[in-house]
Amino acid sequence: MEEDEFFGEKTFQHYCAEFIKHSQQIGDGWEWKISKDCSDGYMCKTHFQIKSGTVVSHPGTSAYVQTCLPTEEALELPLDDFEVPETAVASEVIKYEYHVLYSCSYQVPVLYFRASFLDGRPLTLKDVWEGVHECYKTRLLQGPWDTITQQEHPVLGQPFFVLHPCKTNEFMTPVLKNSRKINRNVNYITSWLSIVGPVVGLNLPLSYANATSQDERNVD
Amino acid sequence: MRQEDISEIWFEYEGTPLKWHYPIGLLFDLLASSSALPWNITVHFKSFPEKDLLHCPSKDAVEAHFMSCMKEADALKHKSQVINEMQKKDHKQLWMGLQNDRFDQFWAINRKLMEYPAEENGFRYIPFRIYQTTTERPFIQKLFRPVAADGQLHTLGDLLREVCPSAISPEDGEKKNQVMIHGIEPMLETPLQWLSEHLSYPDNFLHISIIPQPTD
Repeated sequence: MEEDEFFGEKTFQHYCAEFIKHSQQIGDGWEWKISKDCSDGYMCKTHFQIKSGTVVSHPGTSAYVQTCLPTEEALELPLDDFEVPETAVASEVIKYEYHVLYSCSYQVPVLYFRASFLDGRPLTLKDVWEGVHECYKTRLLQGPWDTITQQEHPVLGQPFFVLHPCKTNEFMTPVLKNSRKINRNVNYITSWLSIVGPVVGLNLPLSYANATSQDERNVD
Repeated sequence: MRQEDISEIWFEYEGTPLKWHYPIGLLFDLLASSSALPWNITVHFKSFPEKDLLHCPSKDAVEAHFMSCMKEADALKHKSQVINEMQKKDHKQLWMGLQNDRFDQFWAINRKLMEYPAEENGFRYIPFRIYQTTTERPFIQKLFRPVAADGQLHTLGDLLREVCPSAISPEDGEKKNQVMIHGIEPMLETPLQWLSEHLSYPDNFLHISIIPQPTD
């Protein structure tokens, strides 16, 4: 393992600060939270998505209408939705919370998330799994270390879902190597989150990528 | 009880839901160390506390969690080199040895996780977690080296002074807390490397409880 692919907590906090700066500019909702004992902090964002399900006539089928997904996803809605009697379509709002923490054991960022209905009922691992796009499921099913598991949030002590961090360096190393080759600064957090986020329904507007190169130009 | 009323089992002691993913000795030290054995806990079959406890759908979940802790401990000790070099059957042997209380079977593999290069004086970092019931944070875990720059071995006291100074009372003051591992209070002068090799839990972590000094 190469030492320069790892970064320390201070570097993590720096990249998060830069990321949040841009988030504030575009109203993307990310915030920095400090732990109660002030010894560390993490990034977090809450957003709401609408899940609509068809009842009775098509048991077991449900389509996610996610406001932040590209249009290809929207086309997956079964046309039957328009033929269903008025009372049968139920819409539910799901609250998603995403937290980005630093793992000192693996020296990488880790994505924690949880989801619940507005009445507080949490989504189960099964529900969450159903929301993962097909193209990611194959990769996740390949190994226990790549999968989504339920773990205790290290600051809040509550159950969250986590994408296991031990493979992070494997996919981040080529990204960082390439950015050095073309001599361009990369915000590790932006790159990393754009890779892992979509797996669990979190998409980053493209302007984050431009934000990094802007900073670089301004610094000179 | 009717079958349909029964949902996931969970355990509780004096109003506190018990985290199944913590070692039972740790839970006892942290919550009930001053009480006499046997430890009386309450078993629930309803109203699973979703906000407090992880779900435990099967024995596989326990195995997955245990192996995840082992992996993390080795990431700290050896940059994951030792555990990643092992075959799947070695990982299985660790879990089966623990599950079936087979000391020799477990240690045949675990001893490799307790080795370090001849040129070093210990592990890269020490896997530890410090627990206190008085904080919202479930535990303190930070990077801490077993050996100082001058080659001196760091002690348990050094660790606490660095990451949890409130745990140690001033030398001339009254002792406010007990620093407990496996139900005993090791001397603060004990080298941390030695504690990590000999007093870790099966998951290779030192789980340290800071509890108020009993007043009797």
